[in-house]
Amino acid sequence: MNINKPSPSHLWRWFDPRDKSIGTIAFIINRLSAIGLTIYLFLHLAVLSKLVAGSQAYDDFLILAKSPAIKIGEMFVIAGGIIHGLNGIRITINSLGFLLKIQNGLLVGLMIIALAAIVYFAIRMFSGA
Amino acid sequence: METNRLQKNITENVWLWLVKIIAGLGIVIFLTIHFIVNHLVAPEGLLSYADILRYYSNPIVPIMEAGFLIFAVVHSLLGLRSIILDLNPSTKVMRFVNPLLIAVGSASIIYGLWLLLVLVQRASL
Repeated sequence: MNINKPSPSHLWRWFDPRDKSIGTIAFIINRLSAIGLTIYLFLHLAVLSKLVAGSQAYDDFLILAKSPAIKIGEMFVIAGGIIHGLNGIRITINSLGFLLKIQNGLLVGLMIIALAAIVYFAIRMFSGA
Repeated sequence: METNRLQKNITENVWLWLVKIIAGLGIVIFLTIHFIVNHLVAPEGLLSYADILRYYSNPIVPIMEAGFLIFAVVHSLLGLRSIILDLNPSTKVMRFVNPLLIAVGSASIIYGLWLLLVLVQRASL
């Protein structure tokens, strides 16, 4: 069996960080954040049906949305969105043949920016600022 | 010809890749506007149903949100397709996946646009 051949049975390898280059880890993070964000998108569309149900239904939902569990979930969405967005910009730049020689440095730089942005949003969300 | 047709089912076409990239860049632009509106223009955020209707009474907002919806659905489903293609699916699987993604994407966009129209209608009352 060729372990490197893509197959659903090799999906577990996404979660195994051993012997992986920084680019491969970035690729895996992009795939995992994409799956999370896709699930969120369709949940979000479903929740927006509350708007059609009227003001009472939506305002009641907003009270629920302020619960700590939902806020932690939102924080994951923000983190996933920032990481996926910045890494996606890097992948686009590199795929078009630009900045290939500094792709690892670019990735590290963008992930530092992502971390700073995530910390900023976390402080804002959980301090009530 | 048959081989080419089958190959198209199990690989990512360059045009679809380009659409995914353009939609991704569109999302980055709309998301930035969304954050500016929610955190700078309305520092407290859009907190209630009434706030949202007021927001939708601006004619630019529904156009922007419709663009955001279309870019987000297209990008997410093309991305999901890329992930499925990474797993080396059979042609048979892709014959099922491709129409399913088109159906889910079309239904989501129609549903989202309907939601927008309802909000615009209520905002104009």
